[in-house]
Amino acid sequence: MPRLVIDDLEIEVPKGTKVIDAAERLGIMIPRFCYHEALGAVGACRMCAVKFIEGPLKGVQMSCMIDAQDGMVVSTTDQEAVDFRKRVIEWLMINHPHDCPVCDEGGQCLLQDETVSSGHGRRRYPGRKRTYRNQYLGPFIAHEMNRCIHCYRCSRYYQEFSGYRDLGPLQIGNRVYFGRFKEGRLESPFSGNLVDICPTGVYTDIPARFKVRRWDLQRAPSVCINCPLGCNTIGNSHYRAVMRVEARMNPYVNGYFLCDEGRFGFSYTNGGADHAQRPWNSRISGADVTVEAALAESASKIAEISAIYGPGAVVALGSTRNSLETQSMLSRLCRRKGWQGPVWFNDPAIYRKVRSGVERLDSGIAVSMREIEFADFVIVAGADLLNEAPMAAMAIRQASRKNATIIVVDPRPISLPFEFRHIPAAPAQIERCLGSLVKGSISKDELKGFDSSAKGFCKALPAKFEEKESGISISELSGQLMSAKRPVIVCGTGIVCESTPAFAADCAQLLRESGKKAGLFYILPGASSFSSALLSGPETKTFSEILPQIEEGLIKALIATESDPFWDFPDRERLDRALSMLDLLVVIDYLPTETVKRATVFHPSSTVFEMNSTFVNQEGRVQHAERVHVGGVPIWGAHPPRIIRNFVPGGDHQPAWELLWKISAETSMLESVLTLGELIAAEIPVFEAVGHSKYPITEGRIIPENSEGSFVKPKASPAKGQTAKGFNLLLTDTIFASREPSAYADTLASVFPEATLFMHSGDANGAGLSEGDMVSVELELGAIQLKLSVSQRMARGFLFLPRQRGIHWQKMKEFSAWIAPERIRKI
Amino acid sequence: MLSEELKQELRKMIADAESSREKAVDVMLDIQEHHLWMSDEAMEEAAELLGMSPLELDELATFYDFIYRSPVGKYVIHVCDSAMCWLEGHQRVMDHISTSFNVPIGGTSPDGLFTLLPVCCIGYCDRAPAMVINRRVYGKLTPEKIDRILGRLARDNEFHPPE
Amino acid sequence: MAQPLVLFKNRHPNRVATLDEYRQSGGYAALERFIGGKIDPGEVVRLIDESGLRGRGGAGFPAGKKWEAVPKNAPFPRYLVANADEMEPGTFKDRILLHTDPHCVIEGMILAGYAFSATKGFFFIRPSYDSSAAIMERELEIARQSGFLGKSILGSGYSFDIVVHRSGGRYICGEATALLNAIMGKRPNPIKPPPYPTEKGLWDRPTVVNNVETLACVPHILRNGPQWFKDLSLTSKGAGTKLFCVSGKVNSPGAEELPMGTPLREIIEKHFGGMLPGSEFKACLPGGASTRFLTSEHYDVPMDFDDLKAIGNRLGTAAIMIFDQKTCLVATTHNLMKFFARESCGWCTPCREGLPYMRELLWLIENGEGKEEYIDTLRSMCKQVWNSYCALAPGAAEPVASLLEFFEDEVREHIRLKGCPFNAKAGN
Ligand SMILES: Cc1cc2nc3c(=O)[nH]c(=O)nc-3n(C[C@H](O)[C@H](O)[C@H](O)COP(=O)(O)O)c2cc1C
Ligand code: SF4
Ligand code: FES
Repeated sequence: MPRLVIDDLEIEVPKGTKVIDAAERLGIMIPRFCYHEALGAVGACRMCAVKFIEGPLKGVQMSCMIDAQDGMVVSTTDQEAVDFRKRVIEWLMINHPHDCPVCDEGGQCLLQDETVSSGHGRRRYPGRKRTYRNQYLGPFIAHEMNRCIHCYRCSRYYQEFSGYRDLGPLQIGNRVYFGRFKEGRLESPFSGNLVDICPTGVYTDIPARFKVRRWDLQRAPSVCINCPLGCNTIGNSHYRAVMRVEARMNPYVNGYFLCDEGRFGFSYTNGGADHAQRPWNSRISGADVTVEAALAESASKIAEISAIYGPGAVVALGSTRNSLETQSMLSRLCRRKGWQGPVWFNDPAIYRKVRSGVERLDSGIAVSMREIEFADFVIVAGADLLNEAPMAAMAIRQASRKNATIIVVDPRPISLPFEFRHIPAAPAQIERCLGSLVKGSISKDELKGFDSSAKGFCKALPAKFEEKESGISISELSGQLMSAKRPVIVCGTGIVCESTPAFAADCAQLLRESGKKAGLFYILPGASSFSSALLSGPETKTFSEILPQIEEGLIKALIATESDPFWDFPDRERLDRALSMLDLLVVIDYLPTETVKRATVFHPSSTVFEMNSTFVNQEGRVQHAERVHVGGVPIWGAHPPRIIRNFVPGGDHQPAWELLWKISAETSMLESVLTLGELIAAEIPVFEAVGHSKYPITEGRIIPENSEGSFVKPKASPAKGQTAKGFNLLLTDTIFASREPSAYADTLASVFPEATLFMHSGDANGAGLSEGDMVSVELELGAIQLKLSVSQRMARGFLFLPRQRGIHWQKMKEFSAWIAPERIRKI
Repeated sequence: MLSEELKQELRKMIADAESSREKAVDVMLDIQEHHLWMSDEAMEEAAELLGMSPLELDELATFYDFIYRSPVGKYVIHVCDSAMCWLEGHQRVMDHISTSFNVPIGGTSPDGLFTLLPVCCIGYCDRAPAMVINRRVYGKLTPEKIDRILGRLARDNEFHPPE
Repeated sequence: MAQPLVLFKNRHPNRVATLDEYRQSGGYAALERFIGGKIDPGEVVRLIDESGLRGRGGAGFPAGKKWEAVPKNAPFPRYLVANADEMEPGTFKDRILLHTDPHCVIEGMILAGYAFSATKGFFFIRPSYDSSAAIMERELEIARQSGFLGKSILGSGYSFDIVVHRSGGRYICGEATALLNAIMGKRPNPIKPPPYPTEKGLWDRPTVVNNVETLACVPHILRNGPQWFKDLSLTSKGAGTKLFCVSGKVNSPGAEELPMGTPLREIIEKHFGGMLPGSEFKACLPGGASTRFLTSEHYDVPMDFDDLKAIGNRLGTAAIMIFDQKTCLVATTHNLMKFFARESCGWCTPCREGLPYMRELLWLIENGEGKEEYIDTLRSMCKQVWNSYCALAPGAAEPVASLLEFFEDEVREHIRLKGCPFNAKAGN
């Protein structure tokens, strides 16, 4: 480990550490523009110059380009270096507009900071400033090229890091222009990171633009709850409105970045641009009432129904967007009150997949996104990452940049911003494919060393998988897997078979036994599925299983806590009928859902920005979201308020767990259970076990050390290919438009993907259909119309329908459908 | 817009290369032989042939001097303005062409025949002042010589080998 | 002393030497002996190393050392690039060489490739040399048909082929690492080593970049031996002949092959017809636009790497641009700076922003709007641009720095007179 001296302070750093980073460890922040930890060093801006006084190098050099070496003596304050850095700033400022007063970057501008700190304050350059024309880059990012200081961070991030190819450097010399070939929306769903990565105000966040100054923002660390990954964010609010969301660096989860859904999908919390889309007030039978009146009404009605029909006639619905606090409270109340539930999922199959996934994750095998970046072989089984968990695609891209082999086994026409081998296997074939791939990578010697259960599992794996269409040789890939050291299996829980998550775990375990540092990474649905699985047992029901009881009149009251069956339950007519049979529908929520519209009693709950809350992501990582602001109807636009009130309009919301506690009328509860931490630990013992019972709960992972690898003998795979003529229609997620709560954000509405049905081009040919046709698909409850997209890179015999806002897929009776060919027509 | 024949030729050229991007400049120069300049449409089609995004190709096109991203005349006259040619009267050459042949400096003559642009040292310093027209070079320019060269191009409207 | 013609041996007015002519003058004998005779490539490297051949592209790096830097166990394919970009103002020797005896370059490339087992060569050439590119393509095909190039050269089992790569035209493309990016179809920004191109160049494979003239020397050295090459030089440390291209205020500008170390005075007066009538030697740039002004004080300097270094200058490309007493050096320097600022690739700040800054100040001085303080600013920037990413900006600063060193009075006179004392000179 090299030892060096920087500004008279000695430090020892790992080999390969750049001098700029070594200084940072000492708390010395050497100015920089082009250098960024995630992007690496390129030495373009020349801002990080320091003087090397002793050692292998001498003179003024760029600290970002030089590895720390033994015996170096470095000065950041040497006059020559200081003068040079000041000159660099002067050079950069000769063309930078003096528009700080109207620039949104003001107050959070690296160029501003470094101009001030360098002491450059007088314009000496007698020439004119260079000017550029800006481009329209879509609804999220504003472009102001005059402010560009040519650090190349944007293009390096956009092209190298995130893998998109529609933004980059054009022109030469001091006319270099960062932009697109033609104006238009940036193709990358990770474009928002340009705002964070640009050291000045070239790219600014449009939803927040011209609204507020950085120093006037209320800021707090938060967590994104749109997908299961739980990326770390910073919430920024002003005048009761969340103005923008920024990425918060977490080396294990999202690194420095976020996807655009997470960054721009927050406006639901403000009720949209007109603030009218959020249910702000408590209501009884649709009429606004006080908080107390609504609480009293729910409490008494629930008590009444329990008394008459027994507590089993009350059922509590939770969801995977509940906080851990709310989930624990739901669990506790159901147990103590004898209510049915909590119900977390609608689809029993999904629920079982989530549970088996969570059960199989232990610290020996679970990997974080960070670890995926260092994988040398990644198998994605049954997951459409860009649509289901976008930042996971970014993590794999980093592995791919380090030359990892990436294989995606999925029937959908997957696209990802890196090179990968796609095997479009039908869901029922995924295990077969994965199994033969893994089996082929196990050598005879390794097999001999296995214990009997591993050996049994390995032997039962299918030896062969025929992939004719993609022309990919599994045995060749097996060969590559054999020499991999850190393979990772990423397994989805959406379209795969019920046995697949456990099977993937067994495969990962087997790779581990063969001496690799193999890892497993699940993609679960929703932000809190991990904790909901922890809070359920074999008896836990899904909404599909509860529904008949409502229809039979056995259930009289439903408490829907941030849960909207209309969101992802098929057969809307049946649902409507059933809910109308209830005596009581208590709804606690912050979104204007269909269920909220039908509530007998409605209680507004707090969004993640308005309370302290805890979420557990899909790899079992406990993370906190701090309250960013009190919340309420935003007042910007009508600023400053002229009406003096002694309450906050729209300020009635409370955390859902608190509302639940109040309507349960369980006054004894906070006497026996003192803290939220203890409440959680009482419901989920694993928190106790890892000492996470204090509140706020210590951040960290709660997966067990080692869950005994129990190999399940793989089933004989079903015969390949459909016999009946027709298509299996499956629902899938799509970025921006499929997930609560972001799909309610009006900021995203303009980027919702067009409603599209996906079909294999061979199938389409047979049916006389082609790319771009408008088609009508007759579902059980009526027809839907949408555009057809055909692809060769998907499984035959399937149709994929995005479960997105605006497509009336609820005309299906079940979670999947069988579509006879004559039921698809061109219109 | 690119003819199938040209595309076929370009595809073959690309196939012979170590990597397709390697041929980016050649493809653009070839297209310019036929279409004089790289229109957005041509860029898009060329990018597709090269397996690049249009932006990636434009990153190169806008970098280089001899790739034209705006319309140019049939003959693009680059007059060298670097040290030796400048010393020997590059400005006079520019002015002469501009007035005698009605070509605005940095622009194209109304008949679309000539475009007049400055260019950095073209490596004919021994024959300064020099210019290059459609990648052929003419040196030791005098007004009479310029009149002869451009006059011939204008008259025949076809290309002649350099002296 | 008679001019020892080596590279220009087959020079004919207005005509390219044919393969036969080249062969008659001993061409391809080295190839037959070394490749045909399967002599160990290490021997080629050793001989070139011993000959003292230094790069003719500007930096003067020993050619043998560069080839040696390709690690013995480096992966294949390996590439050789002949740099015929030649966009340094004042430089045109490579063009003349290509129009004189292309096979000399081709044989040099093949032998250089053999030296480190390259499998493919790129001949990188600028667009305004289209006629040279066409000549090359024609002669390469002839070489291929004669068995000197392509699969299993002369049946030796060693295969090597050369393709011509046309540039889109930019000075920075001549910089070795930017050139590699250009060939790969990337933006031609330089790449700072490490890793050196000899380890990771084109497509991350070992790649050697040599100037055309450097390569052209190789067959002659191998044929006649390193000592012969050394002896060609007039100076003891120098080696070989050098193509000098002279332009500016002399009677017969052009390119001539002369012994390394020929004194400047002799070059000008004897070989290029002397100064124009009425012109007196005021200064020259001895090695292209990115070298320093050389004043009459050093009129007798031997033109060799070390001798020029000794007087604080550089041989560069040996492109000598000669200015007389009627030339305004402020205006000249402004013109050079205009070139460099325009050709900056735009990657690093000192070059992208600093050069236009300096150009602006020079422009104001030349136009009578200069201020005394600009001199200090220019001076300090000349030093500061040395901290650029590549060698373009430091090269660009050389004429300015030397203008301020040797012709400060002339600069101050501009400022004092609020205008150019040479007034309405030379077109600008
Ligand atoms: C800005 C810049 C431009 C250059 N242009 C050329 C050129 O046109 N031709 C050339 O041979 N070398 C040029 N060089 C030098 C090359 O980087 C490299 O040193 C040379 O091609 C190596 O060949 P040699 O060792 O045979 O001289 C240039 C260097 C710089 C910094
Ligand atoms: S000095 Fe910098 S900007 Fe100039 S050419 Fe080199 S890398 Fe490009
Ligand atoms: S941070 Fe080192 S050069 Fe930009």
